[in-house]
Amino acid sequence: MRQVPSATPGPIRQCAELARKDLRLELRAGEALLVTAPFGAVALLLVPLAIGSDAPLLRQVGPGLYWVVVLLFGVLVTLRQSAVEGPAQLAMLRLCGVHPAVRLAGRTLANAVLLVAFELLLTPVAIALYDPDLSGWPWLLPLFPLIAVGLAVLGTLASALAHGLAGRTTLGALLVVPLAAPLVLGATQTLAAARYARQPWAWLFLVLVIDLLIIVATALAARQLEESA
Amino acid sequence: MPSPVSASDSIVTLMDVAVVVERVPVLRGLTLGVTAGESVGVVGANGSGKSTLLRVLATLLAPVRGHGRVLGAELGTDESFAVRPGIALVGHVPSLYPRLTLRENLRFLARLTGRREQAADDALELVGLAPAGDRRAEACSQGMLRRAELARVLLAQPRLLLLDEAHAGLDDGSIGLVEVVIRRVSERGGASVIVSHDQPRLRDLADRMVEIRNGQAVPADEEVPA
Amino acid sequence: MTRILFGRRLTVVGVVAMSAGLVAAMVAPPDRVQGDVQRLMYIHVPAAWLAYLSFAVTLGSSVGWLWRRTARYDRVAAASAEVGVFFTGLAIVLGSIWGKPTWGVWWTWDPRVVTTAVMFFVYLGYLALRRATVDSVARARRSAVFGVVAFVQVPIVHMSVVWWRALHQPPTVLKPGDPSIDHVMLATLLLNVLAFTLLYLLLLRARMRLAVVEEELERTSLGEGQELAGNAVLAPRLERS
Repeated sequence: MRQVPSATPGPIRQCAELARKDLRLELRAGEALLVTAPFGAVALLLVPLAIGSDAPLLRQVGPGLYWVVVLLFGVLVTLRQSAVEGPAQLAMLRLCGVHPAVRLAGRTLANAVLLVAFELLLTPVAIALYDPDLSGWPWLLPLFPLIAVGLAVLGTLASALAHGLAGRTTLGALLVVPLAAPLVLGATQTLAAARYARQPWAWLFLVLVIDLLIIVATALAARQLEESA
Repeated sequence: MPSPVSASDSIVTLMDVAVVVERVPVLRGLTLGVTAGESVGVVGANGSGKSTLLRVLATLLAPVRGHGRVLGAELGTDESFAVRPGIALVGHVPSLYPRLTLRENLRFLARLTGRREQAADDALELVGLAPAGDRRAEACSQGMLRRAELARVLLAQPRLLLLDEAHAGLDDGSIGLVEVVIRRVSERGGASVIVSHDQPRLRDLADRMVEIRNGQAVPADEEVPA
Repeated sequence: MTRILFGRRLTVVGVVAMSAGLVAAMVAPPDRVQGDVQRLMYIHVPAAWLAYLSFAVTLGSSVGWLWRRTARYDRVAAASAEVGVFFTGLAIVLGSIWGKPTWGVWWTWDPRVVTTAVMFFVYLGYLALRRATVDSVARARRSAVFGVVAFVQVPIVHMSVVWWRALHQPPTVLKPGDPSIDHVMLATLLLNVLAFTLLYLLLLRARMRLAVVEEELERTSLGEGQELAGNAVLAPRLERS
């Protein structure tokens, strides 16, 4: 009979440990929140320079621009260099008996936490620059984590697919961004519906369904991706 | 304590294995057996495929031809998932996270594999790195990282130990660590496969020697000109 | 079956059908409102049909690869995606050219148009992923995973933009009752759809044959005769130079 040297902890423990490690690495590298977030803020600042500082216009396009920036720059957060394991580290994790799905789940968890922080950092910037209509703002509370999770899963998947390839950040982004279109729509339409006193539930539900679908798809794909990593 | 294992227990069997890395054939027609308690030294010229062999034994690289078993698991199948925690690979590239301290690295591994954090600290202590435990891996010398890797092996308590460039970067005082680590594995009924260019030292450590030549493993009873 | 699909007959039938389709598109009556511009429909619609068909085939063969791990599935998936990207691009460009005189704009934010554009970029990403991966097994594996995830997303993208806004002209052919299109025009359209489907099969077959040759080339270079990695390393020449 084969013997495993110790009682390996459950997948949830392992996932939490991996996420904790990722977050600690990000804390020390400061890549997502100290580099990518300011970069996103710069993008928000540049748009009015390009389209004109017409206050009513900016007020109208503000929320949409915010979510586009969250999507485009959030992808960079998920593809950050500090979340790339070298071959030696990957070998070590694999030999620790970490199942590929658990490895992806840990990365997703860390990504989601970082993305929520990223969204929260950019929110005051967008409000200050665009002065958007904030009626219906409580809908942002479920929206932030839902969008973050969806983007986190897609980013994890793209990162795994583009692992070790030339131009992985651009390739990863190209793989994710078109597929994330419904997330942007869901986010902007939830808020628009709330503003016009229509039921935002449908759009929120759409985001939730997308999240669940890509979680399931990624979990099923995890085992397949293992050998290529 | 694991039950004592009879000497005939097979840890590794490779039969006529061929391995291709990035489209380049590296190993071809390689056959190798390693039994419990044994330590096998591997020598060969640069680029002959020694490190590739270790990756195959670690179940991280599947052969394109032939078949093999490691710790009972058929290579290239899902069976390898179950046996991986019993394998430790120390490659020639450090596997620690550069931005974590040595202690954080080892404690992370301990928690990930269900061991107490104290075991990680003990392992650091044993390799003489306890005072440097709070130093980030990126700030450590090559030799310190090698010692930390050996601490990782002590923590993992593998049944199959795979050591690449076993003596590289270690000072005279710590070179004995390699032997300690290998002995511990053998005592628990495991086996070691060790690659080193320091042939005299390797011959002292290993029960037998093989050379990788023309993609195959051949017995190397005499000194091999490397 | 294979003989029929892969025999010379397919080429003959394909060429005949394409010529017939072209002639029919020329002689079909012009649209009462749009005039001759409307003839673009006979390419635009079949191209769009091929786009969906090829990506569905890519999905099917990606699943097939993950299930069976046979190289043939990977070849079909890749070939179909390449053909699909070409016809998606063609459908978008023709749609744009058709849209300008008809709707007065080059681009419209209609759900079907947006979905098709998203699909174009998704599968461009698929091809980029294939190009970037050197190892053939890793390439097959990664692109199969992406091929599945991508197509699963396509209906979601479509539904979300449908709910967002709907402007595109409602279905004229695939709806219950009498199609609201002239019968000659309908026949011409169907003929062209058939002809393009045959063209798709021809292109798919050609691309797959090419892939087989490419793989054979790779295999020969990997064959028994190929040098082992270690043989490229010689002992250094230490004697005085």
